[in-house]
Amino acid sequence: MKLWHSFTKELMLASRSFYFYIEIVMAGIFLFLLLFAIPKNFDGRQDEYLYYDVPDSAWEYFEDELLTADEDGLVEMVEIELDDEIILGSLYQADTSNFYVIDDQELAIALADKERTFAGVVHMDELGEITYTYYMQGYETERLLNTYAVFHNEKMEVLKDAFQAVDVRALHEDQVLLSDRENVVPSFLTFNGSLMGMFILAAYIFLDKKEGVIKAYAVTTSPVWHYLLSKVGVVTVTSLVTSLIITLPVMGGQPNYPAMFVFLLTTGFAASALGLVLASFYDDLIQAFGVIFVFIIVMMLPNISYFIPTWDPAWMQYIPSYTILEGFKEILLPGGDITYVLFASLGFFAAGLLLFLFANSRFKKTLTI
Amino acid sequence: MINVKNLYHSYNNDEQFAVKDASFEIPDGEIFGFLGPSGAGKSTTQGILTGLLPLQQGEVTVAGFDIKSIKRNMFNKIGMSFEQSNVYSKMTAKENLDFYKKLFDVETRDSEELLKLVGLDGKENVRAGEFSKGMKHRLTFARSMLNNPELWFLDEPTTGLDPAIAADIKDIIHQQNEKGVTIFLTTHNMYIADELCDRVAFIIDGEIKLIDSPKKLKLAYGEQLVEVEYQKNGDIATETFSTVLEDDKKRLQDVIAKHEIQSMHTKEATLEEIFIKVTGRGLA
Repeated sequence: MKLWHSFTKELMLASRSFYFYIEIVMAGIFLFLLLFAIPKNFDGRQDEYLYYDVPDSAWEYFEDELLTADEDGLVEMVEIELDDEIILGSLYQADTSNFYVIDDQELAIALADKERTFAGVVHMDELGEITYTYYMQGYETERLLNTYAVFHNEKMEVLKDAFQAVDVRALHEDQVLLSDRENVVPSFLTFNGSLMGMFILAAYIFLDKKEGVIKAYAVTTSPVWHYLLSKVGVVTVTSLVTSLIITLPVMGGQPNYPAMFVFLLTTGFAASALGLVLASFYDDLIQAFGVIFVFIIVMMLPNISYFIPTWDPAWMQYIPSYTILEGFKEILLPGGDITYVLFASLGFFAAGLLLFLFANSRFKKTLTI
Repeated sequence: MINVKNLYHSYNNDEQFAVKDASFEIPDGEIFGFLGPSGAGKSTTQGILTGLLPLQQGEVTVAGFDIKSIKRNMFNKIGMSFEQSNVYSKMTAKENLDFYKKLFDVETRDSEELLKLVGLDGKENVRAGEFSKGMKHRLTFARSMLNNPELWFLDEPTTGLDPAIAADIKDIIHQQNEKGVTIFLTTHNMYIADELCDRVAFIIDGEIKLIDSPKKLKLAYGEQLVEVEYQKNGDIATETFSTVLEDDKKRLQDVIAKHEIQSMHTKEATLEEIFIKVTGRGLA
């Protein structure tokens, strides 16, 4: 009962404090970004500008190739702005690239230069020899350059045979992917739910240290862990509310909400307990800022490998936020791996409990007068 | 009510003791003053007695509880008024008291009655953050009475208060003591100690130098003198006589017999003077 009284008191204090509204406003900003700034799916196609210096008969061949690659098999006439000039071009939209065919070699190169992208010039001489000239921007990888070199030094048949010899099998035929917008949600949930929780909890403790109320609490019959747990409870409830503010409008009923509830509780508990431990070593936020900042930066690192899966070093997986990101992703995916989520929850609960016990012993020892 | 035997405490767990070999007993119903300058070890001792600091060495029982392994229900019996006001600034005065009321297992006092007692009536619904320093101090003081404590720890209870409010606080302390409450008063204010305490302890550099009642200390350390103002040849003359020396006694009788006395005061040593005499240091 005393724990409940402490919790309701903390809720009242939180509702009257600045930090509580920071979290709500942050959730609102995240939601705004998700709904209005982040497209449902990013258009990851690269623009490429091509100029064909070939006879009409050869052009028909190349155009057939382009139309085959085009998603709807239709060419689209477009106007492209270059400085103050309007340039006409033909657009072919393939899976990975937008091919703009321009009638002027200089303009094609100028457009590529302006967009910092790729231009290609295909030239056929009087003997029918085809020359490919690529205009790069300097940032392309050695691997890409080598690919182009190989492409024109090997016979196409050899390459085709090599490609066809590769056996590609889908492991999950019914795999459902998140849209690009939905894919950003786990990152926001991790930041808002867990990392902010650690910071906000430390901030609450420092406010109380400043007012000296922990000492007043310590001379009542309620144990100090009640005080600490009620703080954790408030931070966790806030993170539940802010997470729903972000998730409900974006994802609707798709996520597994019971699993999300469990995961938010356990990860929030662990992050808050970490905040308690940090706060037990310092007197105010300014003193602790450096350490909290380092923790937040380290915890944000897994975002890089989350969005760029090709960079996923093994050590990254030891950072807890890596597991949190993956857990949230499984929760949001229809038919996600809930066993993974539950095991991760168990791990975070155990880690949180150890941190909480350590923080409790620290606070009992450091109630200095 | 309190038994302390060979108490030591070091903040760095080394030989730099903030409290050294302190021993004293406080019987039920006594007002015991812990007198010393800043950094003498008063607050450290009080911190150990209230469980805010761990007991490192020595034996301490408070209200029948061994401090070595504190039971939470000990706090049903004790109240603590801190020197630095520590109330929730975002809660009103009444909300502050109502919250702490719920953290005790014994019958508690009415919040509004306590606020009235310390002169905060009419401020029940004002947030403590809007209070002056003195008002916050009174709220902290009121909070320490919530659980009707048998043992009441008061740390500088009148610091920062205007004289009228300080007098009210002293009256409340007297009233509580008359009801049988034992009071452990920590202060560097010799006047409040002199006025309120049955016994005082002088502590300096962590060591208790002396424990006795203010009256006995004055008798033991004060010079017994009488200062007399009288009319002499149309002027006012002032003379000081010893009440112990025979010559002075005869001269005093002579002055009283032959002159018109304007005023006559006994001059006794103050606690501060005695403190300086005993410890060689002032209380500031």
